[in-house]
Parts: sequence; C-alpha cells; structure tokens
Amino acid sequence: MAHFLGRRALHSGIALIGLILAVFFLVRLTGDPTALYLPIDASLQTRIEFAKKHGFDRPATEQFLVFLKDVSEGDLGYSLRKQRPAMELVLEAYPTTLALAGVAMTLSIVLAVIVGALAAYRPGGVFDRVGSMASLAGASAPDFWVAITGILVFAVTLRWLPTSGTGDLPYWILPIVVLMLRPFGLMVQVVRASMLGALSSAYVKTARAKGVGETAVIFVHALRNASLSVVTVAGDLTVGLINGAVIVETVFGWPGVGKLMIDSVIQRDFPTVQAAVMVTATAIFLLNILIDLLYVALDPRIRHQ
Amino acid sequence: MKQKTIAFELRSSRLLVGAAALAAVFGVTAGVQSAQAQKTVTVVLSEEPEGLDGCNSNRSTVGRVAKQNIVETLTEIDPKDGSITPRLATSWSKINDTTWRFELRKGVKFHDGASLNAETASKAIARTMDSKLDCETRTKSFGDLKLSTKAVGSHTLEISANKPVPILPTRMGVVSLSSPNTSMDKLVLNPIGTGPYVFDKWTPGQEIVLKRFDGYWGKKPVVEGARYIWRSESTVRAAMVKVGEADIAPNIAVQDATDPSMDFSYPNSETTRLRIDVTRPPLNDKRVRLALEYAFDRDALRGSILSKDIEHATQIVVPSINGHNPAIKVRKYDPAEAQKLIAEAKAAGVPVDTEIEIIGRTNIYPNGTEAMEAMMAMFQAAGLKMKLRMMEVGSWLKYLSKPYDENRAPILLQAQHDNNNGDAVFSIFNKYACGGLQSSICDKNLDAMVAKAGTLSGDERRKTWQEVNRVINEDLVADVWMYHMVGYSRVGNRINFTPSISTNSELHLEDMTFK
Repeated sequence: MAHFLGRRALHSGIALIGLILAVFFLVRLTGDPTALYLPIDASLQTRIEFAKKHGFDRPATEQFLVFLKDVSEGDLGYSLRKQRPAMELVLEAYPTTLALAGVAMTLSIVLAVIVGALAAYRPGGVFDRVGSMASLAGASAPDFWVAITGILVFAVTLRWLPTSGTGDLPYWILPIVVLMLRPFGLMVQVVRASMLGALSSAYVKTARAKGVGETAVIFVHALRNASLSVVTVAGDLTVGLINGAVIVETVFGWPGVGKLMIDSVIQRDFPTVQAAVMVTATAIFLLNILIDLLYVALDPRIRHQ
Repeated sequence: MKQKTIAFELRSSRLLVGAAALAAVFGVTAGVQSAQAQKTVTVVLSEEPEGLDGCNSNRSTVGRVAKQNIVETLTEIDPKDGSITPRLATSWSKINDTTWRFELRKGVKFHDGASLNAETASKAIARTMDSKLDCETRTKSFGDLKLSTKAVGSHTLEISANKPVPILPTRMGVVSLSSPNTSMDKLVLNPIGTGPYVFDKWTPGQEIVLKRFDGYWGKKPVVEGARYIWRSESTVRAAMVKVGEADIAPNIAVQDATDPSMDFSYPNSETTRLRIDVTRPPLNDKRVRLALEYAFDRDALRGSILSKDIEHATQIVVPSINGHNPAIKVRKYDPAEAQKLIAEAKAAGVPVDTEIEIIGRTNIYPNGTEAMEAMMAMFQAAGLKMKLRMMEVGSWLKYLSKPYDENRAPILLQAQHDNNNGDAVFSIFNKYACGGLQSSICDKNLDAMVAKAGTLSGDERRKTWQEVNRVINEDLVADVWMYHMVGYSRVGNRINFTPSISTNSELHLEDMTFK
C-alpha cells in the first residue's frame, strides 16, 4: 500500500510540475496585463513605467526564473488587483468550494443510490419511470437557468428562502439543490444500470433463496457490487465541483475558488491563476488517490492485482 | 417473497413521505430574516472592490464605497451642472497660471485623530501623485501633469502644476485625501479619511462595513452605517432589493428595471460611439464617414435593444459637462443620402468596396453585441462591406490605444467614454489630439484649439470647447455618434435616495434618509 501511495504521489507531483509550467507560460500568451490594470485613459508613459515596475516587460523565461526563486522562498506571488498574496486569496476561497462540493456530492450520492436502486428494483414501474424522468431532467437542466428561476420562485415570489449569500441552513438550500441536480441525475442513471445487472445476478438469487431480506439484498449484496461504477462517475463529478462551482458561486455570491479563478483569468491576474491552479490540482490529485483507495476497499480483485 | 416486497415498498414509501414532510415543514419555517438593522443600509454592488485606497476612489468599484463617504476631496463636482463646490477646501483663488491657493476647512479630523491642515493635506496629495503607488487618480486624471504643494499657513495650501491649469479646482475634485498616517509605500485596504463614515471591516468575498463617524465636521448623517455586498448577476441584485435583503442596487440591467416604484434611470455620463479610423481608405474619405452617420437609424435601437431613456449623442461629453455644445444637431437617418454619398465617393475613386471591420467589446454595455450587429446590417444596407469582430476587453484594448497596428484594416471601434469630472478637458485631448493616446485623427487646427481651450477659463473656455466639439462632429466627422447612456438603480421602499449622474461612480450615504 505504501509503495502504491508513494508511486501515485510521485506521478502526481510530476504532473503538478508540468501543469504549473504549462499554466505559467499559457496565461502569459494572453498578453501583457498592463492595459487591464491601468485605467483606459492612462498615458503611454504611465503604461511603460507600470510594466517595467512590475516586470511585465521582461521575457516570459526571465519572469519564470523570478517565479521559481520566489516559490523556493515560499512566495507564490502577489495579486496586484486584490493587493494581497495570491495564495492567501486562494486558500480563503477554497473552503467555500470544498464545502459546496462536499455537501452537494454527499447528498447527490445518497439520494442517487436510493432512487437508482429503487428504480432498478422494479424496471418499468411507476417509480422507475418517474425517477428516470426526474434524473434526466436534472442532468440536462442548465444550472444558470435553474439558479435564477429558483431565486425568483423561492426567494422573490414565495419568500421562503434568501436570494443569495452565505449563512445558516436556509442560505445553503438553493445553491446545494442547483449544484446537486446534474450529479444526482447522472448518478441515478448509473446506479440504476449497475443495479439492474447486479439484481439479476446469481448471487442475488442465492441470497433471496437463503431468505435474506429485500432491503439487505438491494442495499448490501447488490449495491456493493454495483458501486464501482458509481464511485468512478462520482469521482469525475466531484473533480468538476472542486475545480469550482462557477455558476453557483457567481449567482449566489458564494466566494469560492471557481469565480476567483475565472475573474483572475479575465483580469490577467497571473499569480492568482497560478496559485488557484496549484491548489485545485493538488486537491484533484488527492481525490484521485482517495478514489483508488476506495476501489481497493470495494473490490478485492484490485487488491490482489 | 410477495409479502416482503410489499413491506419493503411500504417502508420506502413512509421514508419518502417523511422526507417530503420534513422538507415542507423546513421550507415553511425557514423564513428569511431581513439582514438590515433599523438605521443602516445595505448596498448590493455588481462586484467586490479590488481595494479601497482613497487614491483609487475614482474607480467606480472603489468610489461607490469610499468617495465622500470615507475619504473626501478638496472640492466637489456638482453632478447637475458640473459646477465646483467646496468640500474640504472652503475657498480657492488663482495666484498665477500654474499656482492656486486653497483655504482648508478648519476643525476637520481624520478618523485616526490626525488634523486636516496644510501639512497633512500636502502629504495626502503628494502620496496620490507619487509614482511609487499605482494610484488611479494619478494615472487616469493627471497624466503628465505634476503637482507640488506648499503650506503657506496652518490651513492655507498652495498647489502648483508643471504647466498652466486654469481648472485646478475642478481637478482637485478627484483627489481624495487620506490620513497622513497612511502608508506612503503601498496601497491600503483600510482607508482612513475625513468623511462621514469610518471603515469598520472587510470580510473578503462577503462584505464591507462602514460606521458613522461621530467626529465628522459636517452635518451628522441619518444613516448610521452601511454594509456593502456584491452579486454579479443583475437579476439577483434587483431581487435582493425587492425582497428587502438590500436597500440599493446602484446598477441593474435595463431588463431587470421592471418596478416603477423602485427603479430609477439616470444619465450615467457614459457616451457611446464608433470611433472611425480616418487614416484608412475608404474611411479617410469624408463622404464615406458621413454616409455611416446617415445610415445609422438611431431610433431603431432606442427602446428595443437599448434603453428607451438614452439620448442621441453628437459629441463625447454629456450635457452637464463644461464644453458640451447643444447647437450640434443629430444627423437624421437618411439611407438614400448615405447611398448617394457612397456612390459619389466611388465615382471619385475611393475604394468603397474595401471591407470595414467593426471591432466590438463584449459586455461593454448591455446588449452591446446586438447593437453592433444591428449597425453592421444598416451599414451593409447602405452599400458598404462590413465585418464584425467582438473581442474580450484585453484584446479590444490593443485597438483602443496607440501604438496602432500599421497593417490594420479600416476600423470602426466600439467605444464608450465616461466623463463626470465637470470639464471637456478630461475627454478631448486623449481622444482627438494628435498626441492623444486613443486618437484616430490628427488635425493641426484642432490641436491648436485644444491647446488654447486648455489654458482658458470661464465662458471663453466653454465656448472654445464647444467649437472643438463642433469641428470634430461637423468638419472632421471622426465618429459615428450613438448615445448618451443611462444607468438603472433599484432603491428599496425603506429609504429616500434619488440616483444621479454621480451614482455611476459614487454613492453618498449622507444623502440618504429613511422613510
């Protein structure tokens, strides 16, 4: 196990370095940020002085050497736009993204497993049809439209929930529901398909013949075998969310890393883009290792390999 | 088996019903509490300010929070007519062409206890003018104009410039004064000024809070404090005011301004146009430029894809700015005249079949892309070959400012300019003089007039700027004029506040009262 983890960490570390290199040079291909930092009416002389002062006039390779030197000293850059250290901005935003992703994915997985399993229990039945329709609608509904409609219905018309912002439980409901729709819809389909196969397998018949209760047959015997594909899909979807739930963060005013990253790219705030990529990439590598460990726990055959 | 299945389904059903009931109860009981205390206001902005340093208070994101609330200026520009009124200076006089003397208000304290006097004011102005700091006030409004200060009495300050500045009092309306204890080396996130409100706290990503300053020199404002929050989506901002979560959304989109009891339109000092690249054929021919003006049906966009409250523009400054020329007439939509002019140009050998590019900027104003598409179709209908390229701001800026690409095509550049600083000088040189960074024309006679206007004052100055605007419109035809734009604000039912032209960049809490 230690060997496995060490190998994965090494691979991840190499990929991370490659990613940082790529991001460093690619963001600089978008151009000199001077024009975006200064007011439109700033004089040419002011622009030249500004670019010189902040090193934007230097070749990218020279900027990279400065970056490496700063990183070796633990300095990941300073956001001129926000006037704060870039890593501080990212680490401040990341817990919001993680909280949103964690709650949304946990609820999505739990609900999808229940709905998908029940739908597979009686294929073609009313529950199956309603569940499939709801999950397909959820998977295909545009986040932005659902978010705005949700605000207009539940906050403006019914006045049940706040429009946006962060706070106690009511503030979580709309963002989480919007964020859950797609993962829930996709995973219901995956769970249902996997469970259909599992429920018709020989070991389930054997379990029933031995008098095992239906709840145990579905949620213990069949679900464990069906869960590998669920873990795979859930892992992919979680990666998408911990990269930043941009729509939800933007519409509901949740200060997460997704919106920070998009704003930084648009404003050519290079240090913040680099820090955000570094943090999210690390989180994704860790998540992938976690998924690998889950595979091992769920399927003994992987352990033996 | 059958019995087990039924029992399982029943248990499942009970579970689902229970969950639904819980959700329903939760939904009903999760009433939303208004975030507003009795005497404070909540303002929902479109974005979080990048910083709050007083020397950046001319940036609208900073100014709406800080300007005249936390930090104040020596003079203030009246949004109604562009006149100058006292703020931290009580009076001023001209000593010579380059030097003005300001008498400072006595008994004024900064929020940290420091006194406002000639020494502290001098330090604050020097900080703004120092190139060590990237102060937007300096880079935007002063350019190569350098200021130096001298205290000639405890509350008498002389400000000198490196060249004649007949409107220095107007220019001082953009320089906010920060405490002498403010860092001289870096921009700060917690501004300390003399304004009626003290910076209290900033929770990044969440809110900025101001409290009323009990030691304020002026009239005690009714509003005890303010909370600033931000939401990118206009629909959300409008909804927040509607349900009482916020009191003011200073900037909402026209399509969200649907409640006449809450929504106000105001001239926002922005002027839109297509800047004509007069150096490139066929746009170097005046007939073709005039044809563009006649081919544009201004009434078609107003009230359809753009607000019904916008006004036709004929020049770069809005009517409240010194130098606006009301005598310049809007060219009426006349497609036949446009076609005739193009035919004449063609007969004279002008290559009117050359493709002209409209360079647009995404999100420059609401429905800006649609406006460009409509204008392109109008120009095509007049017989010109057009192509539209919409760009994000970073790419568009390359076309806005010099040095221009030598190999560029003939270009019409979608542009918008904001001037609520009281005088045409803040617009004209940069946009139209030979040395102007964003100028696409170079006319020696115009340059001479611009230089002359810059040295004049009073009525002479106004008339000279008016003539400059006439020449640009009628003689040079340097732009396809579009509109003087409007902004929309939503103001909640709890407070009295009327948005004005300055709402685009400032939001004075002291002007607000409760109903």
